Amino acid sequence: MNKIQKFFVSFLAFGLIAGGLASCGRTSSASGVLRVGNDAGFGGAETMDPYDGNRTWPTINMVFDRLIGVDKDFSPIPELALSWSSNDDLTEWTLELREGVKFHDGSEFDADDVVYSIERMIDPEFDSPILAVLGVISSVTAVSKYEVLLSLSTGEADFPLLLADYRALMTPVDSQSTIGKNPIGTGPFKMETFDPAGTTVLLANEDYFFGQPKLERIEVITFADSQSAAQALAGDQVDLLLAIDGKSSAMFGDEAKFTLQNIPSGDWNAIDFRVDQEPFGDARVRKALRIAADRQVIADTVLGVGGGVVACDTPVWSADPYRWDGDCAKDTEGAKALLAEAGYPNGIDIDIYTSDVEVHMVELVTAYKDQVKDAGIRVTIKMADASGFWDDVWMKESAFVDSWGQRPATQVLNEVYRSTASWNPTGQVDKDLDKMLDEARSTKDQAERAKKYAQIQERLFENSAIFLPYHKTLTRAMSSKVKGVEPIVIDAVRWEKISVS
Amino acid sequence: MRRVVFSLATFIALAVVSFVGVDALPGDGCTALLGRFGTNAKIDACRRENNLNDSVVVRLKDWSGDLVRGDLGYSIKRDEQVSEIIIPRLRNTAVMAAVAALIAFPSAIVVGLLLGRYPRKRISKAVNQFSVIAMTLPEFVIATVLWLVLSIWIPIFPGVSVMPSNASLLQLLPNVWLPALTLAVVIFAHSMRTMRASVTNVQNMPFVESARLRGTNERKMISRHIVPAALPPVVNVVALDGAWLLTGTFVTEAAFNFQGLGRLAIDAISDRDTALILPIILFGLAVYLVSSILADSLVRVFDPRLRSNNR
Repeated sequence: MNKIQKFFVSFLAFGLIAGGLASCGRTSSASGVLRVGNDAGFGGAETMDPYDGNRTWPTINMVFDRLIGVDKDFSPIPELALSWSSNDDLTEWTLELREGVKFHDGSEFDADDVVYSIERMIDPEFDSPILAVLGVISSVTAVSKYEVLLSLSTGEADFPLLLADYRALMTPVDSQSTIGKNPIGTGPFKMETFDPAGTTVLLANEDYFFGQPKLERIEVITFADSQSAAQALAGDQVDLLLAIDGKSSAMFGDEAKFTLQNIPSGDWNAIDFRVDQEPFGDARVRKALRIAADRQVIADTVLGVGGGVVACDTPVWSADPYRWDGDCAKDTEGAKALLAEAGYPNGIDIDIYTSDVEVHMVELVTAYKDQVKDAGIRVTIKMADASGFWDDVWMKESAFVDSWGQRPATQVLNEVYRSTASWNPTGQVDKDLDKMLDEARSTKDQAERAKKYAQIQERLFENSAIFLPYHKTLTRAMSSKVKGVEPIVIDAVRWEKISVS
Repeated sequence: MRRVVFSLATFIALAVVSFVGVDALPGDGCTALLGRFGTNAKIDACRRENNLNDSVVVRLKDWSGDLVRGDLGYSIKRDEQVSEIIIPRLRNTAVMAAVAALIAFPSAIVVGLLLGRYPRKRISKAVNQFSVIAMTLPEFVIATVLWLVLSIWIPIFPGVSVMPSNASLLQLLPNVWLPALTLAVVIFAHSMRTMRASVTNVQNMPFVESARLRGTNERKMISRHIVPAALPPVVNVVALDGAWLLTGTFVTEAAFNFQGLGRLAIDAISDRDTALILPIILFGLAVYLVSSILADSLVRVFDPRLRSNNR
């Protein structure tokens, strides 16, 4: 062996020794511990205050409970409230509370906590994001220790579903100043250490009213990007990723080691057109913009085959009981005729703004551009900087991509489409639609109400300025050691029932 | 001495330019904190509370005054002192950089010397080829390959780091290896090739020839004549690579979820957290200025010609 070879051999030996030393520190997965990967959603500004805009999800749902939960069909089920009823015009709701529930500090949960929590949610000064959901509440009073009365400013038949929002969580009286970093809830897990940029540790609440959790502890580990989170699952450093990029799913094809779940969700992307900017003020142009594209092709291109469920411009998602499924097949000739009728026989040139602020946003416009060119709609894609997108582009340019999370029908329709909604992104004023929304939410009979919601969605397809081609199907990935995570939307997953074998 | 004063002046000028430049970006700490649904009223209140409505000149004066007193500022978004955010991450990056440097530089100098001295050996040619590949591959590819081989196929190292930023050194060490190896591959190729070229160059110089004619043996030849003459250009490259190890680790840190300065910089920039971006920029400036001064002084130690004319 000459000198050079000797050198390489010793270099290699050094590497192996170093590796051996390093592997001593490798973490092992103890049973009874669930390691959940989480994305760094708010870059260090995360708080455990469920009503704050920077609330850290899903950790808040391990520590706190709602009054009303949802089952897998998205119908309301008891959580901290055992039962509920309303008056005839749906403006007053009485909730009976579960008795004997203890907060993590040993104090008892009762009507005062409900009043305190809801008053914080609807406080106009604090201006919580959940105000957009529960702004219909005008007052809340404790009737007795275990009974509360909620008065609404308008009749709302689906009020229990609004209370099932993942942020409508119950917090103890006078907790506002401490809850962000030292949360006290009634939920299945207690906060041990809160470190939103690193690892947050939670311990089982043995007195949980739905029964003792099967896990001893949960570690919520934050990752800078989805790729490193996927690597961590592949390398047995985390056990559960609530959502992975569909393109990463090939990494977890080994069924003996990993479980993949595809869950249709209510998350959607859209292209919004400002009606106060030409040519989008003309309903015929808007209709042409929506029938010129094949939505299935767009969904398959953007999300991957099986990655989404086609929507005909309805924000109501596939598992919602009020979902309307119309016919929105591609109709190039129809689109051309509508454009000609509106005074554009040679087609139109439009700019659409997009940004890589979220995945899928750039692909959506690219796929749309390709789809509508046959109808004479010539799209110029404008790339905006990701960091200024929501401030400078969204709701401001004439056309732009959009992204929303899952919401029940009544909420999403009133929050995004109502003429007076603060986040109505197209600026469209449709008084008839507003009236239909009022009528639908105040109809007590379920079948009758469903019919009204279907008519509303049909109207959106005819008239709205939002092109909404699909709802996303989420891919959840976990180690096959994890049991008890049902293949249902996360709002309905019970954390206390999860175990690791 | 003149050099140090000049560097300091450069530093101050660039610090002012950075402050004004970052300030000119759309968005500030308040829009960063309040995000997509921050109403104008809320943003205004936040700006008033944090004195963001003052003019650039006033804020620059306040900021530089604080800086001189050793106060790096306060991150509105993270509700934390900037020093408390930066120092643990700086430590992590420094440890990772040190490990990478310890792996890469000594081996690069030795391998470069051997390759320059024995260019015709088959193994020399193979190593040379490898270094060309290593130099052209982007870091994230090296990172992915190392991860696949050393964490999945042969599970030696933890694949990505899952530690808090202020983890103990013992917790930190296992997480350092893969990112450090990635960085080491990049700088090894770079400095090794510089060393090899320098050795090749020096070997053909007349003083080496005359030493050989005097009958100097191989060992002495290398240690007395070739290495000291070949090192100066390498020192410069090592200094640049060393500075890069502390300031250019964005991609590698993101790939391994490593809680260091690079990942913090990415987060700070995408959050428009100006209070956090500025100290990171200043740190990078300081590292480059100091390392170039250091390199020049070291080169003088190796090269008597530069000492004698006392520039």
